[in-house]
Amino acid sequence: MTALLVLAVLATLLGGTVLAALMDRAALPLAALLTRQRVETEAPDRMNRDLSSAWYLALAAIGLSVVPFAPGLALIDSPVGIVIWGSCEALVVVTVFLHGWSPNAPFPLIGAYRYAAIGLPIMLPSMFVLIAAALPAESLSLIDIVESQREIWNVLRQPLGLPLFLVVALAMTLRGPMDYADAADIATGTSAEESGAARALWQVARLAMLVSISAIAATVFLGGPLGPVLPGPVWLWLKTAALMALTVWIGNRVARTTPDRMLTILWVVLLPLSFLGLIIAGVMAL
Amino acid sequence: MAMTHLVRWAARAPAPVYAAIGPGRQAEVERLLTRPGLNRAKTPRDAAILLVAGDLPSSSLDALNRLHDQLPRPRTTLRWLDGDQEAIAHRITTALRALCDGAAGEDDRLPDTPANEWKGIGPHGQGGKGMMGGTPYGRPMAMTGKDVRDGLQLDRYTTRVGPFAPMLPPGLVLEVTLQGDVICEASVQAAPFAQPAEADAPALCAARMLRLLGLDAAADRVIRGRPLRAAWVTGAVPRGLARINDTDARDRLSAWLRSRTVTVAPPDLAALLPGSEWSEAMLILASLPPSALIRAARATEAA
Amino acid sequence: MIALLALFAVWTGWRVFRVDSMVRASFALMLSFVSVGAIGVLLSAPYIGVATVFMMAVEMMVMAIFMVMFMMNPAGLNPMVMVHQHRLSIAAGVLAFVGLSAAILLSPLPSDPVPEGSDVVAQLGHELLGPSMLVFETAGVTLLATMVGAVILSSRQGWFGAADHGSRPPDLTAGGDPAGRQPGDGGGHGHHHHGGH
Repeated sequence: MTALLVLAVLATLLGGTVLAALMDRAALPLAALLTRQRVETEAPDRMNRDLSSAWYLALAAIGLSVVPFAPGLALIDSPVGIVIWGSCEALVVVTVFLHGWSPNAPFPLIGAYRYAAIGLPIMLPSMFVLIAAALPAESLSLIDIVESQREIWNVLRQPLGLPLFLVVALAMTLRGPMDYADAADIATGTSAEESGAARALWQVARLAMLVSISAIAATVFLGGPLGPVLPGPVWLWLKTAALMALTVWIGNRVARTTPDRMLTILWVVLLPLSFLGLIIAGVMAL
Repeated sequence: MAMTHLVRWAARAPAPVYAAIGPGRQAEVERLLTRPGLNRAKTPRDAAILLVAGDLPSSSLDALNRLHDQLPRPRTTLRWLDGDQEAIAHRITTALRALCDGAAGEDDRLPDTPANEWKGIGPHGQGGKGMMGGTPYGRPMAMTGKDVRDGLQLDRYTTRVGPFAPMLPPGLVLEVTLQGDVICEASVQAAPFAQPAEADAPALCAARMLRLLGLDAAADRVIRGRPLRAAWVTGAVPRGLARINDTDARDRLSAWLRSRTVTVAPPDLAALLPGSEWSEAMLILASLPPSALIRAARATEAA
Repeated sequence: MIALLALFAVWTGWRVFRVDSMVRASFALMLSFVSVGAIGVLLSAPYIGVATVFMMAVEMMVMAIFMVMFMMNPAGLNPMVMVHQHRLSIAAGVLAFVGLSAAILLSPLPSDPVPEGSDVVAQLGHELLGPSMLVFETAGVTLLATMVGAVILSSRQGWFGAADHGSRPPDLTAGGDPAGRQPGDGGGHGHHHHGGH
């Protein structure tokens, strides 16, 4: 069973990443990147440069492995599944920072601490909406959260949750309005100095993280593998793909404001909003 | 087998082009790079083809050589002196195909060695005072200085950006002192190249700002004259950025999106940029029509 | 497994002092704490273990940011030495090691294994929000108030003007002299800040 679940996680990650590349129209450019050479910057932090993309990919895989593929069935069946995902989010911020730090160049470094400034406050709304979703289930386990949605999905029970979590998804996958690490005004920021296969690997890791966070959102807000007729994994895949498409669409359509203004929005609007959602969920769960 | 598939896919991908734009060619290049088979690389590291448009002044040839060496191998330089877009687009695709077919590409133009020797003056071989500052390898390192906002002692880092930086107008060389991404000091080292009135076209000006807002697809659509499909566009530009003649950056963007030409008096760049964050500064520069920016930069450069 | 993680924690902890960049030191410390968190998970304390990973990732990120803010020194060009005040630190290290070892060796360690299937996370929650609630909440709110206070005290921009300009107390009579010390006696350096934000 474990072997089967490992296979399911890897296949989902691989298939989802290919799907995400197609949604982004990035498949051919990614292949083209592999034909070009990798350029060295002067005195880089080699270890962290090589590890950051691998970490990002690994975090996507760990995040996906707490997702139940069928009711009651997840690779990592932890009583604190949601906290494991939260740790993955926090480590993504570290990984993106290291990715920008390691080439030893100004624009990547600006992207790195810009992302850390945005990434840390976004942890709070993220945790609040996830804890709000855990309240009706009375458990931090994603399996129990799926079970608690048999009657009504969390997207309807807690209408604030999914929109707020999509903002987190945009930030975690460095996309569109929340792409403060790899923005155009700093020449693609943390990856400004990267070429060839290394650049391709970072883009693949971004796409894999899109699969992972969409699967988490599908589990927490759309009932994950629950659904009539079709088997559980198929429902999870369909919901994940729909959320991936939605995130890509928002990422392409919504403008990105300046980091300073986004920080104000995060602290003054999104954080109180998510706290309000948590209070409402808490009162309802009583 | 896998390798031949890879090469075939690479040849079918949009050609990643990084443009070094010379005097008078900005509008043409910006229109060219919205064509379907071409991809505007946001950093030279992501490009395979360096497009040199127009006659570059001899003062920027050194910068061009450095830019050339930043492109990963295999790479090709194409010069675009005149001729229509069809012809150059065709040349670009042919050049990309040649690279995919295994053409060797171009070698470095400059020697790949440190500009200076390592100079350590600290007790452990550091460059400067304590463990900070100094110029190891001829690279000026950050040194603490008074923060412009809170007066804390934070690191200041001075660097030059331009003349072919993707986020700056072609030709502009800025020397900026940064604290984090806050600009403490800015001076114009070289003014942008002269551009004809065509570069002030509303669609092109709007597209420059849209790219900074992360809306590449929308920018391409606006240049091709199609309706903009994006949300929160003018709202994303903060109010009060670069307020000149009662219009700020947001007003100018919305005028451009309604296809209206904007004329502003050339502002004092050295006073406009310090105190703003890097992304705000780039929005400020993109919110000035090239004609006004060129006059402003020339005035600052002369001063 | 626990032994491997413990070894990794000790090795990364040692690396903190051997690497030559602040960022590497911060994240070596983070890895050390991550492996301690993993040991916690193996010792049937999943919430505390995973929460340690979460907290340490955020904390070390903040630490690295401050390092870069004060010493924007990209890796490698300016090597740094992480060890200062050798004698004091050696003495403190030896003392801490002896003390902690003594505590481990001398205190009677409990040996009642966690029963299979017991809900440890719920038990922890009942403990934290039950008998220990007063301690837990007092500590939490105090820490939060300290952080907010520190930020307010160190901020230059204030409700009544810049912090280094001196504030003007309310007038004694309507339109008359302000009460107390007159502003401008000290503090201000004549360096006016043009707020761009």
